[in-house]
Amino acid sequence: MRWARGLPTIFDPYTTTDSNTVDYAFGVYDMLFGLDSKLVPQPQMLDSWSASDDKKTYTFSLRDRLSWHDGTPVTAADCVASIRRWFQTPGGQLVNERTKDVSKVDEKSFVITLKKPLGVLIDQLAQVDVYPLFMMREQDARRPPTDAVTTHIGSGPFKFNEELYVPGASITFDKYDGYVPRDDAPDGLAGAKIARVRRVVWAKLPDPQTAMAALQAGEVDVLVEVPADLFPVIESDPNLVLENLYKSGFDYFLRMNCLQKPFDNVKARQAVLHLINQDAFLSVINPSLKGNRNVTSLFGVNTPFSNDANTNWFRKGGDPEKAKQLLQEAGYTGEKVVILDPTDWTEGHNASLFLASELRKIGLNVELASSDWAALVARRARKDSVENGGWSIFISSLPDFSLTSPNSAAFMAMNGEQGWVGWPQDDQYEVLRAKWADVTGIEAHRALAREMQQIFWDYASSAYLGHVPALSAYRKNLTGLIGLQAGRLLMWNMRKD
Amino acid sequence: MVTYIFRRMISAIVVMAMVGVFIFLLVRLAPGDPADIIAGRAATDQTVADIREQLGLNAPLPVQFRQWAGNLLNGDLGMSVFAGRPVLQLISQRLEPTISLSILTMILSVTVGISFGILAAWRTGGLVDRLLTAFSALGYSVPVFVIGYFLIYFFAIRAHWLPVQGYTPIDGGLGPWFVHLILPTVALSLGYIAFIARVTRASMLEVLSEDYMRTAAAKGASSHAMLFHHALKNAGVPILTVIGISFAYLIGGVVITETVFNIPGVGRLVVDAINNRDYPIIQGVLILTSGLYVLINLAVDLAYTLIDPRIRY
Amino acid sequence: MIGGGLLALLIILALAAPLYAGDPVNMDPFKRLQPPSAEMWFGSDNLGRDVFARTIFGARISLVVGLLSAASAAVVGLLIGVIAGYSRSFDNIVMRVMDGLMSIPTFLLAIALISLTGPGIGILIVAIAIPETPAVTRLVRSVVLSVRERPYVEAALCGGARLPKVLWRHILPSTIPALMVQSATVCASAILTEAGLSFLGVGVPPEIPSWGNMISGSRLYLAIAPLTVFAPGICLAVTVLAVNLLGDGLRDLFDPRAKRRR
Repeated sequence: MRWARGLPTIFDPYTTTDSNTVDYAFGVYDMLFGLDSKLVPQPQMLDSWSASDDKKTYTFSLRDRLSWHDGTPVTAADCVASIRRWFQTPGGQLVNERTKDVSKVDEKSFVITLKKPLGVLIDQLAQVDVYPLFMMREQDARRPPTDAVTTHIGSGPFKFNEELYVPGASITFDKYDGYVPRDDAPDGLAGAKIARVRRVVWAKLPDPQTAMAALQAGEVDVLVEVPADLFPVIESDPNLVLENLYKSGFDYFLRMNCLQKPFDNVKARQAVLHLINQDAFLSVINPSLKGNRNVTSLFGVNTPFSNDANTNWFRKGGDPEKAKQLLQEAGYTGEKVVILDPTDWTEGHNASLFLASELRKIGLNVELASSDWAALVARRARKDSVENGGWSIFISSLPDFSLTSPNSAAFMAMNGEQGWVGWPQDDQYEVLRAKWADVTGIEAHRALAREMQQIFWDYASSAYLGHVPALSAYRKNLTGLIGLQAGRLLMWNMRKD
Repeated sequence: MVTYIFRRMISAIVVMAMVGVFIFLLVRLAPGDPADIIAGRAATDQTVADIREQLGLNAPLPVQFRQWAGNLLNGDLGMSVFAGRPVLQLISQRLEPTISLSILTMILSVTVGISFGILAAWRTGGLVDRLLTAFSALGYSVPVFVIGYFLIYFFAIRAHWLPVQGYTPIDGGLGPWFVHLILPTVALSLGYIAFIARVTRASMLEVLSEDYMRTAAAKGASSHAMLFHHALKNAGVPILTVIGISFAYLIGGVVITETVFNIPGVGRLVVDAINNRDYPIIQGVLILTSGLYVLINLAVDLAYTLIDPRIRY
Repeated sequence: MIGGGLLALLIILALAAPLYAGDPVNMDPFKRLQPPSAEMWFGSDNLGRDVFARTIFGARISLVVGLLSAASAAVVGLLIGVIAGYSRSFDNIVMRVMDGLMSIPTFLLAIALISLTGPGIGILIVAIAIPETPAVTRLVRSVVLSVRERPYVEAALCGGARLPKVLWRHILPSTIPALMVQSATVCASAILTEAGLSFLGVGVPPEIPSWGNMISGSRLYLAIAPLTVFAPGICLAVTVLAVNLLGDGLRDLFDPRAKRRR
């Protein structure tokens, strides 16, 4: 079984949010909880769990016969160490703040004690949008997250084949015969994880044209990311299936640097919102136009909290005159605007090129800084001025699904320089965001969402470019391929006839 | 003869030392701290400091060079920044496809190129000559990636005769190995066929116009075939030179060909290294390919003396 | 001299580009991958840019990189070659350096140089010219070595003429023919190297329309809009062919004996 897809360069899901690394981790590592197809957490490595009456003490016990790929059994001590490591990542930050202690009870069970009740504890332990909680061996989990683990010993259904690893070209997973699946039926990340193929190879085929041809010829079985221009080719081939496996789709956005000129001025940022014509960007990003939608809500298009508060003023953009006027009001005097342009990500690269051309039309002095994605990620972390190696704008995308949780979605925070790149800061918004974890009931969350969105769009740290589905292509003889709302393609339960 | 070989080898060593100095200076004299460059843009200050220490960058340049060259002679090309493995190991992992492609390309280029050249020289000015001249002018001018896509489109996508991409190791069977290499080899060879054919034709004509050949022809003693046998022997030196040069240029074509046909060889390793700013890998590949070039040219020079006993340096 | 004529025509077409070709950078995502029309002769690419305009403007990049690389390699190679041909001590050192440089594969050296500094047209020209210089130096040196033994040069020197004057009067002119032929070769190879580097994404910055960039950006659309790949591909081949033919023509001109062989 061969998949054509991106490859991880770092093999530690605690050190990066890179989706290739996380997808690798889903094969090699296992989680305490798994989200089912309705996104409800179900025990995965756990046999059972319970909460005390005051909702402050949670006890978890592992199911039997779990083992690491080196043959040793999975113990509660491993889990405690993994949770502590997770606490040091943004994914575990919220739980860490509320936790008094994590400790093992016996070989098979451990306890999390909270300072005060946290309604979303289980959801947080099961979340898969940023830094999911994967279980590692204690000796690996003892390292701080800044020190990446270099072994590949997990307890998941697939083990990493060290001998066949060719860095940059391919990685090979073999079925782990010691894995004992759950008894319940498979359902998303929950239920039985059964490896039905002996070996899965992930190969990097850097040329999309070649990758497409390889799929048609049956040389690869799955093409994880398909450029939209190739959809017609796939649809006309009777041996291929084009499917929306990453159910949630992606929301493309641009992020402005709120610390540096000219986008330290709110009017300049609002000008960009007026300018961005989502339909035009969508036809650059997904020219097939299939499943494209405009995104106006901070909370995405398909989440329960998606709403229309404060979206009327910019709608879907496309008003250069208004943008020019606002830019003038902002007192723009030709400061350089640097767009970080990722050349190794086709959609992002094309959208960046188009963004540059659009911004020039309203008189901004635009310069493209082209690099690969890895270098972009490094540069966007710099707070300096543009002249000193800083930046003004970059484009990225996130799974629509991740916008359900303002606690963990870094994109949704407005906590200034402590927060995610772009560094928007609004204390009132932060107060509202802090309430999210404690409010219960969907209606209360919806009301809170509207209030947050009101402030978010007034501040305008980011602008959406549109929502696109992410389609994968595979050969017809492949069945049981699971895509997950959370944007993951899984290796277990699929089979090849 | 022996002194010549000895002198030739000494000069090869001098050249290699020169190459070493260049490649060492390349990273050292580049704008910015080499530790910054080697650590990559995502590195923390601590990592950079560690790398400075590890590379001994605080020492004066000559000391650094001595250490670097010492490691090199022990086969230590450093560690890859991204993969965290020894560069030598990464390169040797990728050698098989690249060597396979290079050797097949050289075999095809030399046999077809020399045949074309002789054919064209045999009937100078005739239709065959003109066609071959036009072909070689084109083969010389069309970039390998354009040829590559053309071949993929017609022979793999349309006709389904050959696989589109990829590589099968030779221990997986000679058949699949060869089949996967046909299109890349043809794409990469066209330029060299053109090059070798031109030089062969020109040297053949040169030799044929020499007085002794004319005399031989005038005597009527030899057949055409005999003439060509003589001519080819004398034209051997320039042809051999060209083959040596071709090998040197091969690696550039290999980088692109491996990208187009998705062959996990040294070329792909270099392209990925550029994207990842993995300088130890780029340095390592530079050193090894340059070393190979020097060796091949040494071999070619020594072969001269066998082919043409008149040559003495 | 077909090559020369063709090259001159290409240069004129490229220089006059703004007069007749459209805007090569204007994007219109609603008009992407259009077939050829009266408005856009070669249709449009994946961002709705005019392929004809981009191809014509792309000629500028190829020609600028090709000609400037050749000129730099020629000038530097000439200087070093003349001095090396004249001074024994300098000769030994310089030629060893050149041998070393020549052993590093051209394409890889260019890649290494650019990956250190980041893409740009200036650095691209330098990166292509450096590996091409040794061949020029060797050639010039060999010409100088053969010329300086000639009677008229000896005579001039004995007659009290100063060295720089002799270099300028007698030696330099005799290197010109070989230098021009060599420059044509360097130019053709520089154009191909630029295209190859841009194709790999390490050449000209992606925003600038160059043939390598165009092919790299459009290769996905080979089946849907073949002109987006073939237009720059064919222009690239024709330009390199023109330069090669010019080189052959020059060789015939300066060395009539060679013509007989052709």
